[in-house]
Amino acid sequence: MTNLAGAYMSRPRTAIAEPAAAPPIEIDPPIAPRIEIVPSRTQKRARPKIAYAAVVVTGVLAIVVTQLLLSIGLSDGAYEISSLQSQQKELDRSNQVLTEQFDKLSSPQNLAASAESLGMVANSAPVYLRLSDGAVLGSPVAAAGSSVTGGQALVPNSLLAPPTVAAATGAAGADGTASAPPAPEAQPDVPWQGALPSPTTR
Amino acid sequence: MNASATRSTRRRAAVAVFAVLAVVAVFVVRLVTIQVVQADTLNAASFDKLSATTTTYGLRGDIVDNDGTVLATTVLRYDVTASPKSVTDFDRTDDAGKTTTVTPTQAAGEIAAITGQTADEVYGILTADPSSNFAYVVRNIDVDAFRSIRDLDIPWLYYSSNPVRTYPNGAVAGSVVGFMGEDADGNPVGGAGVEQLDDQCLAGSDGLETYERGADGVAIPGSTVTTTEAKPGGTAVLTLDSDLQWFSQQALAARVQETGAAWGTVVVQEVKTGKLLAVADYPSVDPNNIDGTPAQDRGSIAFQAPFEPGSTFKALTAASVLDAGLANVGTQVEAPYVYTDPNGASTRDSEFHVDPLRLTFAGVIQESSNTGTAMLGELLTPQQRYDYMTKFHIGSSSEVGFPGESGGILHPWDEWDDQTNLTTTFGQGLATTAVQMASVYQTLGNGGVRLPVQLVSGCQQADGTMTQVPDATGEQIVSPQSATDTINMLETVATGGYASADLQIPGYRVAAKTGTAQMSDGSGAYGDSYITSLAGLAPADDPQYVVSVTIAKPVTIENGLAAAPVFQKIMSQVLKEHRVLPSTVPSPNLPTTY
Repeated sequence: MTNLAGAYMSRPRTAIAEPAAAPPIEIDPPIAPRIEIVPSRTQKRARPKIAYAAVVVTGVLAIVVTQLLLSIGLSDGAYEISSLQSQQKELDRSNQVLTEQFDKLSSPQNLAASAESLGMVANSAPVYLRLSDGAVLGSPVAAAGSSVTGGQALVPNSLLAPPTVAAATGAAGADGTASAPPAPEAQPDVPWQGALPSPTTR
Repeated sequence: MNASATRSTRRRAAVAVFAVLAVVAVFVVRLVTIQVVQADTLNAASFDKLSATTTTYGLRGDIVDNDGTVLATTVLRYDVTASPKSVTDFDRTDDAGKTTTVTPTQAAGEIAAITGQTADEVYGILTADPSSNFAYVVRNIDVDAFRSIRDLDIPWLYYSSNPVRTYPNGAVAGSVVGFMGEDADGNPVGGAGVEQLDDQCLAGSDGLETYERGADGVAIPGSTVTTTEAKPGGTAVLTLDSDLQWFSQQALAARVQETGAAWGTVVVQEVKTGKLLAVADYPSVDPNNIDGTPAQDRGSIAFQAPFEPGSTFKALTAASVLDAGLANVGTQVEAPYVYTDPNGASTRDSEFHVDPLRLTFAGVIQESSNTGTAMLGELLTPQQRYDYMTKFHIGSSSEVGFPGESGGILHPWDEWDDQTNLTTTFGQGLATTAVQMASVYQTLGNGGVRLPVQLVSGCQQADGTMTQVPDATGEQIVSPQSATDTINMLETVATGGYASADLQIPGYRVAAKTGTAQMSDGSGAYGDSYITSLAGLAPADDPQYVVSVTIAKPVTIENGLAAAPVFQKIMSQVLKEHRVLPSTVPSPNLPTTY
């Protein structure tokens, strides 16, 4: 306030000095002298420049825009997280279904039934080949052809109630050949190339 | 500029400043009221509107066998609930964009087709109490059914998941793994077997997660607050081998049914570690379907039911006598048909013979002579025999600590009457569990060092560390020499005893002992039924595995022959599965007669 009042008071003084600078000799009717208030140095410094305003306004705008973009980004992320989470939940469910099925199918009851439905029998007299000296340990005996389960599943598993691999393959092989072991497919002999494989020991 | 103008300027300025200050003051007061005075109330109110709390499940841990095969695990099942209040017609838009109106009756039919209920049943649930806001449509359905129902897009259905226990291998180790029960508050808690034994290891704790959500239910970024961290349970790692366990159960069940027996057990133990590889019980429970088994058959007989072991116990007496240095494998005995000891107590052999049998100690074991065993056993004082028995853990339960485990029955020696004093030499007048008998043979096979019986090898935490690993420090019960001598004597049973034909495993030396014990009739006397058993080790030259088979009350065969084929089958399977090399050292073929 006081500053402005001071500037007001000083204006007439500078205004008086202006006409004195005009040339005294004039041919044409003299035009009215151009009067302009010349700001003092302090005034010049005190007056805000347009550039400053521009910088401030641009800055504010930039901040607003950044803020806006940031929050758009954040909420976009929130939706993405939410959709990925539900996707993960679905995948977890699928994983659970498959794991359950896997565990069920790999239960010994199912494996034994499946193996026997394929005509496999257990040999309880294994023979070992000792690699160090080629010795045969044990006396080879042909498998008796008796099944381990004797066709009776005596260890129940209520999870296996729905048809399993065993049941499916058993049904498939039921056309007369179910009990006999399937004949091995005739494979063309492939002559062995190179040295016999041996375990690497160090 | 005059003085009055200046004054007016100042007044206006003052008014403006005052007004501004007043407005600011109002705002400040309001701000303080909202931010400080009412802060809690307002926060709570907004939180209620915005926040959602979800339970994050800390699922109960798995029970796995020694190679990680899952025996018990937790899966999520789904409950479908409805709000009967809002059950109305609704519009459904199909993929082609066609909109149809679905009535509750139609919807009920669609649900019923998936759940296996009848449409009337479902409709009944939906309309039972039209003012209610909650009704279970169906509970514990699996993922496939849940997905199908969800895809029906019925607006008045709600879904929630809850963890349930499942046992992928069914009755394999069912009686050992156990099942879930409920505690006093109705919360699920281990109800039997390892589920109960290792409940502390397996139990997880649920967590709570609170977040704020927008109008569409999506979480507001950065608002998730985990109030309680969910902690999944640990994995209980058993020493059992599920394949062998199945094989044992299958072989046992077949034999029990074939001989018309009441029940049976098989225990397979690793000699060098004390680990139980199989504990089979018949009858046994399928933990997926507990109701399918009568309540009294749901436990593990091998751990919980003590019985008088009979002749398999003679191995313990023999080892004790040898360890005390009172006899050796060649000690000669004239075993009469009836033997009366100095106290006046008497016993007789199972087979009648006129002349006394001229047997070596090995022959006494091979013939399973009660009189011979009693004569040799009484070389020890009752107290000495009692001390050996307690060192072999007869009378105290194993280190497993199985729920309801029995320690058998062994009265202190000074309470034995004369008859008990005599009969305890051959396994009558005392009771053991199948696990205890296996442990006796484990000690003999391991050079006289008894190792703690192990069923659970530890609790595996989420970070892979093993906790609660049981102590495996052994204890020397009898000298290595007397243990080996006992094994050699037991081998004569497999080479020349009455069950020898059923005990042959090609390529392997087998040491075993038959047992045919009279069963108590429950009123203090012996009844007509027998417990037949067979306990043994293989290979005899370097024992690796103990197999102990017990079959109670067989009808068609009433001696050790009932159990012998099961022993042979299971022992062959163990040796094959573990790639045990055939015996190379010939049998000592101890003389049995003189």
